[in-house]
Amino acid sequence: MEKSLITLDKGTVCSSWNYCRQRLASGSIDGTLSIFDSLDPNSSSFTSTSQLKVNETSIVKVVWIPPEYGDAVATICLDGTFSLWEECEQDAQSIKWVMCKLSERNESRVLDLQFGVSSTSLKMVAAHSNGLVKVYELLDPLDLKKWQLQAEFQNVIDTVPTLGKPSCVSASISWNPQRGESNLASFALGFNSELPQFNSSKVWEFDEAHQRWLPVAELALPEDKGDQVYVVAWAPNIGRPYEVLAVATSKGIAVWHIGLLPDTDGKLSVEKVALLSGHEGEVWQMEWDMGGMTLATTGSDGVVRLWQSNLNGVWHEQATLETTST
Amino acid sequence: MPGLLSENNNSLVPFSPEVRDPIVYHLHNTPKPPISRLSISWSRGNCLLVSFFRTKLPSSESDTNAVENPNEEIGGKVVEVKLSSENGEVDDVQRRKIAYDSVSPFALLQSHKISAAALSNMSLGSSNPFNWWQHIMDYSKDIKALLENSKPPPSSVIEDPMEVLQTVEEPNSLKAAWELLEIFYADKQAQPWLPERLVDWLADYDSLLSSTMTTVHSKLVDLQKELVNLQAIEDDPKYWEGLSSALAVGWLDIVVKLLRLHGSYQLDQLGNRETENGLVEAVAVLVSKMPRMRSEWNESILGECFKSKPDFMKSWEKWRGQIAKLECSAFWVQCDHRQTREGLKNLLQIMLGNSSILNTVTCHWMELYISNFLYVRPFTMGLDGMYSLAQKCMQVKPLSNTHCLMGLILGILGDNIEVVLAECSRSFGPWMVAHAIELLTAGNTQAEVLLHEERYNLGGISIEELHRLVYAQVLSSHPLTWQIAPVYLTSCTKQGMGLLEILLYKQPVLHNQLLLKVLEICRLYDLYSISSTIMKIAGVYHWKHGRKGSGVFWLQQAQDEVRLNKIAQQLFDFVGKPISDTSFKQWEGLIELLGSEARTAGGLEFLHKYRDFKKSLQQVQDGKAREAAQQAIESLILLMKNPSTPQRFWLPLLHDSLMLLNWQERPLLNVSQTNLLLNKLQDLSIARLLPDYVEADLPTQALGSVRLALATNLGRVILEE
Repeated sequence: MEKSLITLDKGTVCSSWNYCRQRLASGSIDGTLSIFDSLDPNSSSFTSTSQLKVNETSIVKVVWIPPEYGDAVATICLDGTFSLWEECEQDAQSIKWVMCKLSERNESRVLDLQFGVSSTSLKMVAAHSNGLVKVYELLDPLDLKKWQLQAEFQNVIDTVPTLGKPSCVSASISWNPQRGESNLASFALGFNSELPQFNSSKVWEFDEAHQRWLPVAELALPEDKGDQVYVVAWAPNIGRPYEVLAVATSKGIAVWHIGLLPDTDGKLSVEKVALLSGHEGEVWQMEWDMGGMTLATTGSDGVVRLWQSNLNGVWHEQATLETTST
Repeated sequence: MPGLLSENNNSLVPFSPEVRDPIVYHLHNTPKPPISRLSISWSRGNCLLVSFFRTKLPSSESDTNAVENPNEEIGGKVVEVKLSSENGEVDDVQRRKIAYDSVSPFALLQSHKISAAALSNMSLGSSNPFNWWQHIMDYSKDIKALLENSKPPPSSVIEDPMEVLQTVEEPNSLKAAWELLEIFYADKQAQPWLPERLVDWLADYDSLLSSTMTTVHSKLVDLQKELVNLQAIEDDPKYWEGLSSALAVGWLDIVVKLLRLHGSYQLDQLGNRETENGLVEAVAVLVSKMPRMRSEWNESILGECFKSKPDFMKSWEKWRGQIAKLECSAFWVQCDHRQTREGLKNLLQIMLGNSSILNTVTCHWMELYISNFLYVRPFTMGLDGMYSLAQKCMQVKPLSNTHCLMGLILGILGDNIEVVLAECSRSFGPWMVAHAIELLTAGNTQAEVLLHEERYNLGGISIEELHRLVYAQVLSSHPLTWQIAPVYLTSCTKQGMGLLEILLYKQPVLHNQLLLKVLEICRLYDLYSISSTIMKIAGVYHWKHGRKGSGVFWLQQAQDEVRLNKIAQQLFDFVGKPISDTSFKQWEGLIELLGSEARTAGGLEFLHKYRDFKKSLQQVQDGKAREAAQQAIESLILLMKNPSTPQRFWLPLLHDSLMLLNWQERPLLNVSQTNLLLNKLQDLSIARLLPDYVEADLPTQALGSVRLALATNLGRVILEE
């Protein structure tokens, strides 16, 4: 049932697959980025093709950019900076990874970073430890060096100036995976901080007419708004009349349905359809399959769990993947 | 996902609403503990990629060096997990073969459906139900044929007179299950003869049930092995046991064959065992004359066939009378061989429907069930009767270990489509469900409503569509089968195209062959937007990896104006720069590729002229002096005269031509040409005073040297003229 694909080097702490699962980028504790490639689409043998040092501190997260913009990854490092690295080849001979962008090192650390394709351009959202969200836009689709800061805001619905500065432990961003000309750019974001207003996951949508980002939905019941959010995951929608998102907090994994059309005040209707418990402790990661029907999750209990909804719309744990050694 | 509808008020099934416990998969290929972190990612379909890390993620910068264990050999592992519950009886290769072979029957049936729907829409009268049954049966037969095991079991060339059991092909549960569905749902003409169809079904597949327990089949297999070694088989109780068991389940040909092996038939027995032999033969004749109600007659099956119930009943009564008469015959007293006497009487009791004997000679409840159809209730009709009989038989012979086919049979007899679907899904996997739904919905209104109703809980799709999507996901997870997933996805009206687009987007299109394949699929199903995205991916990849030509080609195919404009702008950067031969060729090629379509307002026209100029200039340097130089001058004049030449390139152009302006042999420009260039130079000096002037990237003395060269040229021309 399972097949071993790659053996990772000592000190590897994170990894990320590209869009077609033919390349893996892994980051290690000494700041080295490694790229593994499968040269034949039908085979499952991978070889390490590139290694480069991107930082003096550990890499904590690797994210691929959408393939329409080239082969590039963003790495978030322990010192709170992120950098963007692109694979280039001169005269079809020598492959080189070059740095396209490096964030400045300052007091707030970058906690999560995700790319989203909108109808006009590539956007990059970065969530910072001071509770700020920064949205960058790529100016030239062929040049990953040219970014412009498009917006900067806090993950709160009512802007109260006296909120103070939170210090966030982690953040999770998930773009609406739908790509299409007609689609508005939107993403969901939740924080894990000590300031409750920042925590609850909100859906942000780009208002083209006024060129600004607006919160269109909040994914938390009134009594749960302060819950610290570990992960959010937006499911692909292949034709449902509603969107599905999963939000993991200390209370469990909530599955939300979000309406497609806004009501009169511009908000989207939300409905919490399930609260799943299974992982004891923190949830590390949640991934939807390509049809948006199965949610795979993993957390500090070291188990992978698969969740599905049955024919009556009741969510349940469908399978568990355990390592024999644990 | 596959499972049972329950809990709702309109629930049809008396099944408990609670959700089944999760299936636990144990992964063995993982690195040794401690594992400090996991990472997951879905690949195509239902294939999950899991990374295991042994190094702990440091929580702060100072923490970095504290966690590495020098004894560790590897830092972690990435494994691929295929999540599908498939029937273990079929291996991967066989499964792929089935997947490929079932595409065309499925597609054919869908196209018949579409044309039937079109016909009824055009109100040309409802489509002919007979024709429709024919399509369903053709489909079912095609699928059944591909489930056959291709390799027949080894058999000897010479027919063995002792061989009582003949196996034509190795049976498999998948085919057995399909045949059950066909009997009950698709083959409407067989409805009046359901019990007899089940008799045939058990004859074909009883051996499958032997895997979990003793059956009539396994008894006969044992007997077969011993036959060769037995001198007088009629003395062996196993012989008689085998006979009664085979008779009980209606394997008449085997019974007759076995009876004819009786010792009394041997030539040396003539004289002393005549009566005994007569009795044996009398039973054999009765067995072979058993009346049966069947639709079609198969040569290999013994008995007398009747199509209508009255004829059958008449003949049945007569046959039973003959058996009863033989039972009471006086000849039994003259039969000295005790085992023969008892064995034969036992057979007669079976044919008379003695339930306690039927109970002892059969093993599996299914066998008892069949024997009841044959001898106790030959006129049982309707599912209700069949279901209650099945329950009775199961009470008599409870199973400790149920075979996957039994759940299916019970679902069918209980007339519960949901149980049938759940059993198909659980025991035989997504392939079975996706294909069997066609049989279940054929002409069954209740099933049709259940399976075709669009459900909000499923995201607005029907159960039928859900199962097709699930099967398509299974196909998508293997590089050798993803290409057939579109056939199933396009038969899903609501969400199939959405999933197909995602599937295509996730293909590694950097491999040219795959790219062409993906684009072909896009073309076939009119998926323009995704095909353009895929061509963009390919274009950008090639452009960034030094294959500029391919890059431009694919971006043009994708009609990606934004990126093509950016490329055209990059080409302007070459203007006025000293460039090497190879890069000039590349640059020239790109201009060719970009074509003549106006992109950046007349920019390309300029680039084309500039190319001509640059070419002749290069020839001058190559030493083809004179004519080339003259040609270069003409190109230069053309460029400078042309209003589409951007002003910012005037000086670079003139600077490039310094060599021409200072031509040693003789001046190349005439007076009016020189004046033109001088005027341009003057315009330029005025423009330089304007705030938005962009200084060309040239040596500071460039303007001065051009000015001087032009003045010198003018002087020389005046002298010459």
